[in-house]
Amino acid sequence: MFRYVDCIDAGSVYCPCELATKGECIICSQLHGKEFCDCLNWKGTCIYQEYIWNGGKSNKTREFRKYSIINKEYLRDDILKLDIKVTKSLSRNLNNLGSFVFLKNEKDIDPYSIPISILDSDVVNNVISVVIKKQGIKSKAIFECEKEILVKGPYWNGIQGQKYLKELKNSSCLILCRGIASAPAVLAAKKIIKNNNEVYVMLDRGRSRENFAKPYFISLGCNVEDVSFLDYSGELKEQYKFEIEKLLKKWNFKTVLSAGSDEFHVKMINFIYNIDKYINFATVNNTTMCCGEGICGSCIIKGKNNEKIRACKQQYDPKEVFLRGISK
Amino acid sequence: MKVIVIGGGWSGCAAALEAKKCGADVLLIEKTDMLLGLGNVGGIMRNNGRYTAAQEMIALGGGDLFELTDKCARHRNVEFPGHKHATLYDVIKMEPTVRRYLLERNINMMFETRVVDVETIGKCIKGIYLHDGTYIEGDVFIETTGSTGPMGNCLRYGKGCSMCILRCPSYGPRISISKRAGVEDLLGMRGDDSYGAMSGSCKLNKESLSNEIREKLEKDGVYIVEIPKEDVNLEKLNIKVCQQYALKEFAENIVLLDTGHAKLMTSYYPLEKLRKIKGFENVRFEDPYSGGKANSIRYLSMAPRDNTMKVTGIENLFVGGEKSGLFVGHTEAIVTGTLAGYNAVRWGLGLKPIQLPTSLAVGDIIAYENDMKESVEGLRKRYTFAGASYFERMKELNLYTINNDIIEKRAKTLMMDGFFNEKLI
Ligand SMILES: Cc1cc2nc3c(=O)[nH]c(=O)nc-3n(C[C@H](O)[C@H](O)[C@H](O)COP(=O)(O)OP(=O)(O)OC[C@H]3O[C@@H](n4cnc5c(N)ncnc54)[C@H](O)[C@@H]3O)c2cc1C
Ligand code: FES
Repeated sequence: MFRYVDCIDAGSVYCPCELATKGECIICSQLHGKEFCDCLNWKGTCIYQEYIWNGGKSNKTREFRKYSIINKEYLRDDILKLDIKVTKSLSRNLNNLGSFVFLKNEKDIDPYSIPISILDSDVVNNVISVVIKKQGIKSKAIFECEKEILVKGPYWNGIQGQKYLKELKNSSCLILCRGIASAPAVLAAKKIIKNNNEVYVMLDRGRSRENFAKPYFISLGCNVEDVSFLDYSGELKEQYKFEIEKLLKKWNFKTVLSAGSDEFHVKMINFIYNIDKYINFATVNNTTMCCGEGICGSCIIKGKNNEKIRACKQQYDPKEVFLRGISK
Repeated sequence: MKVIVIGGGWSGCAAALEAKKCGADVLLIEKTDMLLGLGNVGGIMRNNGRYTAAQEMIALGGGDLFELTDKCARHRNVEFPGHKHATLYDVIKMEPTVRRYLLERNINMMFETRVVDVETIGKCIKGIYLHDGTYIEGDVFIETTGSTGPMGNCLRYGKGCSMCILRCPSYGPRISISKRAGVEDLLGMRGDDSYGAMSGSCKLNKESLSNEIREKLEKDGVYIVEIPKEDVNLEKLNIKVCQQYALKEFAENIVLLDTGHAKLMTSYYPLEKLRKIKGFENVRFEDPYSGGKANSIRYLSMAPRDNTMKVTGIENLFVGGEKSGLFVGHTEAIVTGTLAGYNAVRWGLGLKPIQLPTSLAVGDIIAYENDMKESVEGLRKRYTFAGASYFERMKELNLYTINNDIIEKRAKTLMMDGFFNEKLI
């Protein structure tokens, strides 16, 4: 059985990581309690070799650094956009599909640190933009930041099924957005368009008059349609079922990016799979994360065969996680 | 009927060719950009009992590849310590020659394509997955992925990646397909009870040797020079794969053979020390590039099989070459690969796969290796027509001969002359 398994950090400067030192490496069998090679997904470097050459230690993990907030803008009273001046290398590293950082107010203790997706990274001026919705204790704490903020990064696992987005060339992609999850979809759209693909966005405006992401998608050259996907009971409206089916036929999409909550992913993926089971899915990663390094375990979800997936580091095929009640 | 061969080394080429000759539709998948695998760094044919085996295969109608290696020979009838009547093929000409031969026979080939997993129904393989997730279905499968590497094994059981011809960093690691299908691998052992064994020779760049050595090598095919006393290392003999070359002579002398490059008959040799020898002042390694430090590790991935080359526990998977046992050599890979290709087609047609008679060396080695693997002692040995214990056995059983007529007569008596040339479909 082929397993779509990838570790987003494999082969990067953050590999081997703490998981390798504890015999929990996602990719390497020798660093997962086995005596012989059985690489799950080769990324061009031998993790075991890197580990031994590194003296049997992990590479250093990411750390918080202090940066200045150069712009603070309320898009709605509970939605805040921050522009943060960072270093050249950090902005460059965050100009990638699925990028996110951990943010924290300097005065707060570590448990306050919160993962936030990158909306855009300006690699000329070294400015990253993020959008935060006031939800709980951690996001509220970020709203209190004024001039400075602590940033830890880069992290890249903010989108699952990245393989399907990266392999799109001279093709087209459908993005279904709802709520704050639209932010990572903007950076994804930018990258997809760079590969000469057309992007069609169905953008749910939710409770606002307009989704904050709309001007970004438009400036990137996406086709944007304002929608309101769900009826009062939270079901996908007939009108949009019909509309999505029509779009799939007309555009012949190979890949759909679902940018909403996990319930939203489940609805969309199951509906579209029933129309065309060969379409690939990418999804915005909504798991609760605390450390982002595969250690704390707060992001662990169960895969199709009940295996543990550390969603902060591991890539999975969204179909394997969100398809319900359909045997493949 | 679609036969899928995984791994394009000598045994994979032999299996693909034979399955095609039998009439099947054949797809050969290779992870690197070249066929022949380790065959690109070898070259020694027909030494000792390999002569008999090659002639037996020719008599049985499965000799196409032996005829090609003869055609690409740089030297015939070469003698070096412990070895007689060797043919040395030109490793530079060999691969393109075989590649053209298979292409002309309409064998489909995919290069730079790595098989990483299988889909099974019960005990049958339904299809295979490539590294990018592409799924390909077939009726019968032959695994000839060899046993070399990958890097983690070369590190844990050897002295690290030495950048050999298989180029794992570029093309990715070998995967045990039989293991993915649910069958545990068997492991070869070394004298000291650790696992695996190190490849036994390296290639030196011929242009980097002195004119005198080069000329002698090109004239005679072999060049021998004593190793300075302080640098003799007898222990190195224990770690190497090729027990037929694990003789004291090879520890006390530098033995070079002309295979296009200068084949150095030792696992690795520190460059500094090598350059102390007269005529070697400018020498450099050709393959593996880090032959000054180490060589590739092998025999960590054999599938249990029966004597028809079918994997025990899987209905439609056959194996050949190093994947099928502790066999060393091109000749051994071609013999086992050919039988695997033939039996794969028989299986696909619903016919019972056959064993080769043990009155032939090619049949005997397959049965003997399988029996020997049962014991730990047997797992420490390697099996080749060219030397060590199996060549002794060949002599004892009167199987060894270099008389072509006798060999032809053997095939005729068994009514097996031209056997591998018959079309089954
Ligand atoms: C340095 C050296 C010198 C040698 N010299 C000689 C000699 O002079 N004479 C002699 O008779 N023998 C020699 N040998 C031994 C001989 O080369 C081998 O025993 C024989 O060639 C093995 O053949 P094979 O087909 O079983 O395996 P390999 O040659 O290892 O072939 C396996 C092939 O499968 C491919 N592969 C692996 N995994 C995958 C995958 N997942 N998907 C697709 N493809 C895959 C590999 O790239 C490779 O091409 C030598 C060996 C070495 C290392
Ligand atoms: S967030 Fe801590 S393990 Fe994934």
